[in-house]
Parts: sequence; structure tokens; C-alpha cells
Amino acid sequence: MSAKAIERSLWALFAAFMIAVPWIIPALISSFWVSVIAEILIWSLLAASVNLLFGYVGLLSFGQALYFGFGMYGVAIGIQDLGLSFWPAFALGIVASMTMALVTGIFAVRLTWHYFAIITVVFSLIFYFLALTNKWLTGGDDGINFALPPTINIGGFNKSLTDPIFQYFFVLCTAALCFLLMHRLVGSPLGKAFLAIRDNDMRARLIGLNVYLLRLIAFVLSGFLAGVAGGLFAFFGRYASATYMFYHVSGEAVVWAIVGGAGTLLGPLIGTTLFIIVREIVSTHWEHHSLIVGTVAILAVMFAPKGMVGLWNDFISRIAERSGAPVGAVELRTEP
Amino acid sequence: MLNLKDVHVHIGKLHILQGVNLQVKPGECAALLGRNGVGKTTTLRAIMGLARRSGGTVEFEGFDLASCEPHEIPRRGVGYVPQGRGIFPNLTVLENLCIGLPGRRDLEREEYVFGCFPRLEERLKQSGGTLSGGEQQMLALARCLMMRPKLIILDEPTEGIMPRLVSQIRREIHRINQAGVSILLVEQNVETALKLCPRVFLMEKGAIVYNGTAHELKSKPEIVRRYLGLSKQ
Repeated sequence: MSAKAIERSLWALFAAFMIAVPWIIPALISSFWVSVIAEILIWSLLAASVNLLFGYVGLLSFGQALYFGFGMYGVAIGIQDLGLSFWPAFALGIVASMTMALVTGIFAVRLTWHYFAIITVVFSLIFYFLALTNKWLTGGDDGINFALPPTINIGGFNKSLTDPIFQYFFVLCTAALCFLLMHRLVGSPLGKAFLAIRDNDMRARLIGLNVYLLRLIAFVLSGFLAGVAGGLFAFFGRYASATYMFYHVSGEAVVWAIVGGAGTLLGPLIGTTLFIIVREIVSTHWEHHSLIVGTVAILAVMFAPKGMVGLWNDFISRIAERSGAPVGAVELRTEP
Repeated sequence: MLNLKDVHVHIGKLHILQGVNLQVKPGECAALLGRNGVGKTTTLRAIMGLARRSGGTVEFEGFDLASCEPHEIPRRGVGYVPQGRGIFPNLTVLENLCIGLPGRRDLEREEYVFGCFPRLEERLKQSGGTLSGGEQQMLALARCLMMRPKLIILDEPTEGIMPRLVSQIRREIHRINQAGVSILLVEQNVETALKLCPRVFLMEKGAIVYNGTAHELKSKPEIVRRYLGLSKQ
């Protein structure tokens, strides 16, 4: 079996599992875990937004929760206050996130390294406190609850996210579409320009790349991913709250992306899966489950700097070397 | 073509460039020589907009480059191959060649570049970081050529490269110059510089102290000794 065939088989198996989740998981464990998997998919988009900036452009943002929050509030305010239906509200959430990313990005991407990290935290904190204090608009800590409008309403056919199976597939399709877009983006000339900037921004300037503009584009695109995640999470919980804009949420996404494997397409998904499953299992028995998250993060940074994906690739390389098969047969490629 | 008039650069309190005057004519191949730390690389960085000038002008084809952002300068026709290659190790050879170019792949230009460096065509899908030092230097030069530059600035292109590849790189620099592209070469290897470049600028303490032909310089060993610290070349 060729390397390509093995890779394709693994993907097919993964796709088949994801499609079968609403039936397999309740039969094997409980239906609760179907919603956990949907939640993992949503949060993995927030981790992917961190990954796009850190893994592909070299900018470590601790403020992605801000755009996640704007995605949530766009949906919630759109439905509750503006009376919008499902799709316009979703679009409002995404546009709000991207606009916010553009406005803050204009200032933030002038900076790099710790200065960039600090300014993203500062923006996140400013808007977190604004959201917390302007209760008339955001509901503050209490947030905004809303009733779900139908997702599809054509003639007599009506489908809403209140149906758990439909909700799961809606989240799965949206997340898959976003990861597919990421895959196409990273393989495109724009993605290669991002990698060039990550490797050496001065060299990138010397070959005529407008580093500032490209960083801004990456920042807005990461705002898009965070906005989609925020919008989905609002639909998922029928709720939006300022607490999700706190930098603690951004920090978690950073940990998920790094532990999963920054600069890899599936790293954020793997990191998010690991931590949310640990949280779900441990939190019922022990309230200090964050200690485990912290310990795993420290161990990962020390012993697996390329994340879980890096570990997997090293493991495959070792097996291939022993068996004499070509290396890279079933590696999770870091870049297309 | 390239005209530096009384260029000054300060880094902190240090006065690095103290009034550099330098001209490169169209089609000319000029060398900028000097001991370590006299300001050669800073001069190149000042041309490319990477070092902020505190005085003087840098004009390219009559246009003051002061009004340009660094990324606009290559687009005006000034190519720069920095010291230490300047390739992107995580991108493939082909990606290194095509990055930053507007629109579709320039196949005609790629053919020209592979004609200059056939070795690169054999390694198109190999990542830049896995190439040898000499191949990386070829890639850096090839990448620069992809932008169809009118002037190429080379900062020590043969540094740390095996002798067999040095002669090939030297040959290609000469061929590029013969094709009408101006060259400004900074080189520690005086022999290479004098072989390639009919015009020579010597630098000392942030200023040009000698501007003449390579032929004249060869007949003035005391100048070579004083400014380059060599008894013969």
C-alpha cells in the first residue's frame, strides 16, 4: 500500500467516524459526549485562529477571545435585539469579529513578539471590561439569552439547531469548511508569504513582501476563524456572555494550539480534543482540573516542542526507519 | 543609476556612516571593499531602507529611495542578496523562487534562472534549508533574478562556500552583469572582487576613501595594504 493510499485511508476512517458520531457515541458511551465533540470542534476553530497567527505568521496573540466574543455577541444581539434570522445573525457575528480584528490589527501588527502579545491582551481586556459594564447592550456577566431561529426554513421544511443531530452536523460541516479553507490558504501563495514572514520578516521585506499588510490580512483572517467559533458557540449555548471575552479564554486557546502542534493544520484540533476530554473527565471528580492542563502544557513545551503532531511524525519516522519504508508515509504534514 | 550622496547613518550614539558618496552606473559591476566593521553592510542596509539615514540621499534612477518603504525598493528594480544567503529554509526551492512575485508563475524567467543554475532545477521540491551552503547562495541569487532587477546588491556571496561552487557563482555573477544588470558587490575576498569588478570603492571608518578602477588599485599596493590590510592580492 502506497503512502498516499495509507494517508487517504486514515482520512476516510476519520471522516467516517465523525459522520457516525451521533449514532456510535450514544451506543458506546452516552449522548452527552456527542455535544462534547461538537464543543471540541467549535473551540478548535478558536485554537486554529491562534495557530494561523502563531504557527504560520509568527505572531503570538493572547487576545483571540475578543473576536470570539464579538462573534457571540453579533449572533446574540442580531437575534435578540435586531430580530434577525439565523443566517444574517451568523453573518453579523462574523463581520463584527473581522471588523474588530481589522481595527485592532491596524495597531497591533506594527509590533512583534512580546509587544504584540501584550497589545493583544490589552485590547482584549479593554473590550472585556466595556462589555462587562455596558449591561444595556451586552447583559454583562449575565449575558444575553435568545431563542434559536430556524436554520433552514424553505416552504414546509423546517430545521433548527434544537435538533441535537442536526446541530452536530451543522457544527461539523462549518468546522470542516473552515479547516478546508485553512488548508487551501496555507498552500496558496498567500500562505507561503505568511511562512516567509514567520521565518524571517526582514528577508521577506527584501524580496518585496509588504510585511505589515500581510500580517494585517492574517490578523483579520484569524478574526474570521474566531468569529465563526464565537457565532457557533452562541448558537450552541443559545447564549452570549462577556466572560468568554476574558484573556483566560485566549490563553487556553494558545495552550491547545501549542500542545496540539503550532504550524500544523490539525494541531489545534488535536490539542483542543485532548484538553476538553481531560477537562470533562476530571472536572466531575476534581475542581482543580486546570492543574492538569498546566502540567500537560509545561511537559509538552519541554519535551514535545512541535506538539502532539510533532510527536506523531517522529514516531512514524522511527517506525519507517526501522521497517525501511519511505519516511513521511503517514506523517501529518506541517505544511502542504 | 545608483547614487549615494553624503549618506550618514547613526546607530545610537555611534556615527557609523560618515558621508558615503558612491555611484554605480548602468551595466557597471562595482565592488565595495574594506576591513570588517568599516560600514559596508550598513551602506547596503541604508540603500535598502533597513538602516535609517540621518543625512544624505540615496537615488536610484533619479528617484529618492527615502520615500520608499523597504518592500517597495525591490519592486523598483533593486535586488538584494544579504549576507548569510537570505533564503526561506521551510519553503521549497520553487516556493523560494516564486514567493513575492505578483500574478502567475513566470515560466520564461524560471527557464532563464534554471539556465544560470541548473542544480536548482534538480532540487525544485527540496526545502531550502536542506540545500548545501553553495546551493543556498545560488537560490538566493536566483530568487533575486526572478524579480528582473536592474541592479543587484550582493553582500559577501562567496563567504563560507566551497571553492568549486565559488567559481560557479563568480561566473554567474559575471554572466548576469554581461546581460546588462548592474552589480554592487561587497566582498571580503579581494581577489574575487577585483576579478569581477572593473570599478572599486574602498571604505574606511564609514566613508569612501578610494574610488577607481580595479586595474589602478592593483598597481597601488600601498593603498591595498593600508585599507585592506593585505600585502598583496
